[in-house]
Amino acid sequence: MTSFHLKATPADSAPLPQRQGARARRALSRVDPMRVVLGALALIPTLVLAFLVYKIFSEAWPAIRFNGWSFFTTKTFTMGNLYGSALEHRNGQVAAGGAQYGVLAFVLGTLLSSLIALLVAVPVAVGGAILLGEKLPAVLQAPLGVFLELLAGIPSVVFGLWGVYSFGPWLSRSVYAPISHLGLPWLSAGVSSNGQGLLTSGLVLAVMIVPIIASITRELVRSVPGNTREGAAALGLTSAESVRVVTLPFIHRGIVAASVLGLARALGETIAVLIISGNALNTYPVSLFAPFSTMASTIAAMLDSALTDSTGMAVHSLAEVGLVLVSITLVVNFAGRYIARSLGTNVPIGRGA
Amino acid sequence: MSPTVNLSTGERRPLLRPGTSEVAPTADDIVLSTQHVSFFYGDVQALSDISLDVHRQEITALIGPSGCGKTTFLRCLNRLNDMVPRTRLEGQVLFDGEDLYAKSVRPIDIRRRIGMVFQRANPFPKSIYENVAIAPRANGQRGNLDDLVEESLRRAALWDEVKDKLKSSAFDLSGGQQQRLCIARAIAVEPEVLLMDEPASALDPVATQAIEDLMQDLKRDYTIVIVTHNMQQAARTSDRTAFFTVDQRPEGRVGVLVEYDDTNTIFTNPKDPRTEDYVTGRFG
Ligand SMILES: Nc1ncnc2c1ncn2[C@@H]1O[C@H](COP(=O)(O)OP(=O)(O)OP(=O)(O)O)[C@@H](O)[C@H]1O
Ligand SMILES: [Mg+2]
Repeated sequence: MTSFHLKATPADSAPLPQRQGARARRALSRVDPMRVVLGALALIPTLVLAFLVYKIFSEAWPAIRFNGWSFFTTKTFTMGNLYGSALEHRNGQVAAGGAQYGVLAFVLGTLLSSLIALLVAVPVAVGGAILLGEKLPAVLQAPLGVFLELLAGIPSVVFGLWGVYSFGPWLSRSVYAPISHLGLPWLSAGVSSNGQGLLTSGLVLAVMIVPIIASITRELVRSVPGNTREGAAALGLTSAESVRVVTLPFIHRGIVAASVLGLARALGETIAVLIISGNALNTYPVSLFAPFSTMASTIAAMLDSALTDSTGMAVHSLAEVGLVLVSITLVVNFAGRYIARSLGTNVPIGRGA
Repeated sequence: MSPTVNLSTGERRPLLRPGTSEVAPTADDIVLSTQHVSFFYGDVQALSDISLDVHRQEITALIGPSGCGKTTFLRCLNRLNDMVPRTRLEGQVLFDGEDLYAKSVRPIDIRRRIGMVFQRANPFPKSIYENVAIAPRANGQRGNLDDLVEESLRRAALWDEVKDKLKSSAFDLSGGQQQRLCIARAIAVEPEVLLMDEPASALDPVATQAIEDLMQDLKRDYTIVIVTHNMQQAARTSDRTAFFTVDQRPEGRVGVLVEYDDTNTIFTNPKDPRTEDYVTGRFG
């Protein structure tokens, strides 16, 4: 019905010259201008993304030449002596003397902090959203949704400040310090008094992405047909069993999608991590408590001084870092799609009675 | 039907916990008894003063025009209406002589003993096999459930159609197949009472016949309450028939029980002219 109207309207509003007659008109309606317009609109985000990637790529190209493979296998990222006269020549490219660019530490920092965030946030957000979505009385559902959306809209710098002034110091004092005395591997070195480091960043990132994942999950839970839920109840299944056999199978694909969205946010988060990471350079994260850096936070932290590099290689290299970040985000997105598709068979779309 | 299959669900929980007050005993052959039951969705009354006894090992048919409250009434019998917010039940429902709505009664325990097949098929988003096996497993049955699944699917007249694709999604089935799957799911836990809300409305004559055979078969051990719009089906299968209708009152349309009697009487010699009009097809 709707598509009929969509087809009819543009043809009516743009009448053809009389002579060309019905034939051309029919040909035009076969092309269906509405679909063409919608298709073009749908293409815009893809084009914008492609343009962006192309721009970053061409900005990064000199650095790709200069750094070669060692960019991906080394941890030292230094712009060299920006004020000296010595220059570094490699592969026909020029950089400041002593410049050396390796992204590996930042990649590890980004992946680890986001992984921590994901591992903490997904169970909390999904569990909470299901619990509240199924158990909270209807009158409180709407306020909960508003609350989650408000939370999701808090600027990340606020989370950063909270992390460094309140949450981090508390963690450092009450959690990290006692644990670090045990001398466990990965859980001892590098505790700072305000808690700046990998775990704190991961946890703050978790707090930031919980509302995102939770509000999507809540919507998903609301979309589960009540009739099916009643079917579980009518068999005498408990609410926990009902969640397992009804709710989760209906929404697990959506949960993957929501998690990917949250993960992408965590991977790209800049300012909050910049504040809480401790911004450690040229080192792998030595423990969960130790300062580190991510790709996004490093770009933000270094761009200012990179712009003073007269060879331009510092900025090119930061662009290359950005390129790696974009690539990882894209890979995560496609992996999420793949997982979602391979998960569960088919959830009904207008099938059955 | 293979006689080696053991459909026993094992231990059943007692309906009432110790310390529950006694209620008036009812005749032993009465499984469910509603006494002056009225039901409200918010402020809107859907049922008024329904008193009806469901007899053990019988098939009780509920008939009546659309919207007269048959489904609502059925859902009062397994406390499924508890799940609908802002609803209220007045009067009493007795299950084996005990107050179904007593504070000490857990709806979950009730629903394991009073099964239900819904008006619209509502399979779980799981495999065909899992749909049948979930509830027995949740009730504590261990080990291999293959025989139980097969037996339940056979009785619901679905086995031959699905035996080669038990692992595929229940949503791959047609609407009628899904409905039979829901019947298989309900009988797999061997409820004492089976509430069926128009189970045959999406089925072809062959499957309908199979379900009616199943009902006769189940009747030997269990009790069935069935809602149907099909007069022949009610006349054919049931022992007793209750005719509900909508009563126009100043405060709104309310479902009432007009007449409840032996099916034979309802269809051949009803006392109320409204019943006669309905069963003979003269109803508006
Ligand atoms: N969840 C609900 N909330 C509010 N009103 C309801 C609800 N469910 C049913 N009703 C109302 O209660 C009355 C009885 O509905 P019910 O579904 O019990 O009728 P029925 O006899 O089963 O009809 P049908 O033969 O069409 O299935 C109807 O007026 C209906 O609008
Ligand atoms: Mg109904």
